[in-house]
Amino acid sequence: MNAPSTPALAAHGLRARLGGVPVLHGIDLALAPGGWTSIVGPNGAGKSTLLRVLAGLLPHDGQVLLQGRRLAQWPARARARTLAWLAQGGVADAAADDLSSYDVAMLGRLPHQRWLAAPSAADRAAVEEALRRTQAWDWRARPLGQLSGGERQRVLLARALAVQAEVLLMDEPLANLDPPHQADCLAMARELAAAGHTVVTVLHELHAALSADRVLVMAAGRVVHHGASGDAATHRALEDVFEGRVRVHAVDGQWVALPH
Amino acid sequence: MMRDAMHSLTRLVRRAAALCALAVLPVHAAPLQATDDLGTVVRLAAPPQRIVATLPSLTETVCELGACGRLVGVDRYSNWPAQVRALPQVGGGLDPNVEAIVALKPDLVLVAQSSRVVERLQGLGLTVAVLEPKTHADVQRVMRRVADLLGVAGAEADAVWRRIDAAVEAAAQSLPLERRGTRVYIEVNTGPYAAGQSSFIGETLTRLHARNIVPAELGPFPKLNPEYVVRANPALIMVGARSAAGLEQRPGWAGIEAVKTGRVCRFTAEQSDVLVRPGPRMAEAARLMAGCLARPAPSGG
Amino acid sequence: MHAARAHWLALWLLLAAAGLLLLGAAIGSTGVERLWQMQADPTAWQIVWDIRVPRTLGAWLAGALLGLAGAVAQGLFRNPLADPYLLGSASGASLAVALALTAFGVSPGATHWVVRLGMTGAAFTGAVLAVLLTLTLARGVQQTLRLLLAGVIVGVVLGALKDLITIASADVLQAITAFMLGSTGLVGWSAGAVMAATLAVCLLAAWMLAPVLDSLALGEATAASLGLPLPAMRAALVAVLALATGAAVAQTGLIAFVGLAAPHLVRSILKTTHARLVPLSALMGGLLLMAADLLARWLIAPQELPVGVLTAVLGGSYLLWLMHRRGRGRVA
Repeated sequence: MNAPSTPALAAHGLRARLGGVPVLHGIDLALAPGGWTSIVGPNGAGKSTLLRVLAGLLPHDGQVLLQGRRLAQWPARARARTLAWLAQGGVADAAADDLSSYDVAMLGRLPHQRWLAAPSAADRAAVEEALRRTQAWDWRARPLGQLSGGERQRVLLARALAVQAEVLLMDEPLANLDPPHQADCLAMARELAAAGHTVVTVLHELHAALSADRVLVMAAGRVVHHGASGDAATHRALEDVFEGRVRVHAVDGQWVALPH
Repeated sequence: MMRDAMHSLTRLVRRAAALCALAVLPVHAAPLQATDDLGTVVRLAAPPQRIVATLPSLTETVCELGACGRLVGVDRYSNWPAQVRALPQVGGGLDPNVEAIVALKPDLVLVAQSSRVVERLQGLGLTVAVLEPKTHADVQRVMRRVADLLGVAGAEADAVWRRIDAAVEAAAQSLPLERRGTRVYIEVNTGPYAAGQSSFIGETLTRLHARNIVPAELGPFPKLNPEYVVRANPALIMVGARSAAGLEQRPGWAGIEAVKTGRVCRFTAEQSDVLVRPGPRMAEAARLMAGCLARPAPSGG
Repeated sequence: MHAARAHWLALWLLLAAAGLLLLGAAIGSTGVERLWQMQADPTAWQIVWDIRVPRTLGAWLAGALLGLAGAVAQGLFRNPLADPYLLGSASGASLAVALALTAFGVSPGATHWVVRLGMTGAAFTGAVLAVLLTLTLARGVQQTLRLLLAGVIVGVVLGALKDLITIASADVLQAITAFMLGSTGLVGWSAGAVMAATLAVCLLAAWMLAPVLDSLALGEATAASLGLPLPAMRAALVAVLALATGAAVAQTGLIAFVGLAAPHLVRSILKTTHARLVPLSALMGGLLLMAADLLARWLIAPQELPVGVLTAVLGGSYLLWLMHRRGRGRVA
């Protein structure tokens, strides 16, 4: 993008370790506001780690700037209102089984609610919109434990949407979703980006990643390429990072990467 | 030649006599024996010189019969008379240290009924007698058995018993008549666990002509509803000092006659030992309780 | 939706508790008596007001404290098998009581302190100190697994120390066993007032912190991303846990199973957020302990059964039946 505005998310010299092992080796990036970037790379490239660091959930060396301000300088609630994060893998343990879908989605409004206040009309409206968007509204009263994997994932997605944050970071949002709902999720990401939100997703489904606006290719804890998803350079970088085991093709007006 | 034959014959007869004597002797060669609480007949060839006792009342019985010097090991709870405290300790009554007992090379081991160590010790070749006095009648019986095993004459043991029994009777007689029939509540531990009529301390109380508020049907140490004590309204409470903290502040207890008049006897740990152990110090226990019964109320009740 | 059902459950639990309170006033050392007959006799009436009513209320309050602590523990550790004693508070309380019992009579100074503190003060102090020790070992509240591990270690070590002390003296052993089996026998009005105040404080705090428990259920990272000050809030939750458990243990001894079973019993009836689960667990725990206490007093009157045995029988039987019913209904 050629707009000189403050990047929504920027990183300078980011280094991070997981369990003592260095995972990110000096990452620099700048993401302009209002667009959908997907991060791709082989296993162990550090994609999830990068996302967590950008969300402020992991200790790191280097700087992360959210809308031009260092993350550490953001008050916690203001940061939570501006940046929403969706975890990878859904809710693994059974601790949330008792919460209804509505209650789970309402948790996304915590950064907006005054402490101990009942949900306001704005909160309820946001939750309803989020649940409808992920087609989870009809069974909003059902507890999470009685939902299938895909249904749970949609509720968790609704939780992230309910925050109505300007920046949305999603780690593997398509897990457990069947193809129609995968398409819905991708369409939703595109809508949000078009409406001015900054969406960053880690996706291992390469066709989904290539439907984003921009692609960030990672390998071994470094950024290898950052460019538009339609660029040939991006496609070559993608093929290189997978050691030529994938080929990018145009199919039906979309870019797909097929194993080779 | 006749003299040689006579010599051989004499030698033969002598040898035969010796053999006969040897054959006959073993039948009468078990001078000490007694039947223990498990019904086993315990036999000893000679009076034991190295005795291990694993129950305080048995230790005290041995010492009362004059064989204190022959004790080589006691359990950790035996503390009377003072000289047994210097002896090696071989664990508790419920958890005796087998190795420590064997290392002392005892020729008689006295254990309680609740001990699980009997077969182990017998398997290791030791002579074990299982005796556990629980009531007044038990004290006399156990004393007699222990005397038999120690080689103390039966008459002597009986004399010891008569002395103790007379002292108990004297304690009972020492009480003024108006103290007879006093309603007494004895608490042995926080719970509250009371001492019933069928417990040892309850029997002592009965001999002192006092009334226990806990009847025999409830067993020796029932865990009571505190309300029961309030209802029974004892005139005198006997309790160990350790568990007595806060007794008067228990809900509803301020109305009990004993609490109102201040007739609460708090016994020290040593005194509690005397009161609770079914052993030769019964007389002292009776004297302690009689003293408590005879004492006037602090507020003149 | 859930709100109506939750309110009905709360009402039902309170009504049942009121009914049992009435029953509790009638059950005593002579079994069940008629209350209106007792009203005629002033001594008997005094027994009802001085002993039975405070003790029955005390049972409800202790059960409520344990139920609340159990719900908080299960939410904090995201583990349905968690109970209030997980951070070592049970062993700490027993050790403190054992020390107090042994210290009695050792020296005038020690005796004076023991009498002043009382067994209840000792138990409470021991419970709280044990939790502090666990926190120190785990170096803070952030790592759930480390906290759990530290709690188990502290529990085992302090329990072993208590065993060492109690085996040295036979009558301390009996007193400690009575403490560990639990009893409401010596709970009066002042003890009840202390528990009521603690319950009010802990309920308020837990209700305020309920959103933390809910968001923790979604994962620690998600909860952090929602802008919640997790370390401070977890520390507050651990404090609520320690306070509630300590207050209950101090007055009634160690009563097992109430803290574990009460939240499960509530969840078997309705599924809801922690803002409702915690108070409902308190109500359920109170009812459970009250019922167990009534049975403990009534079955072999004038003797009493250990109430901890009955809570296990009552709560455990119901949970077993639930499991059986669920197992039968499941598709093979």
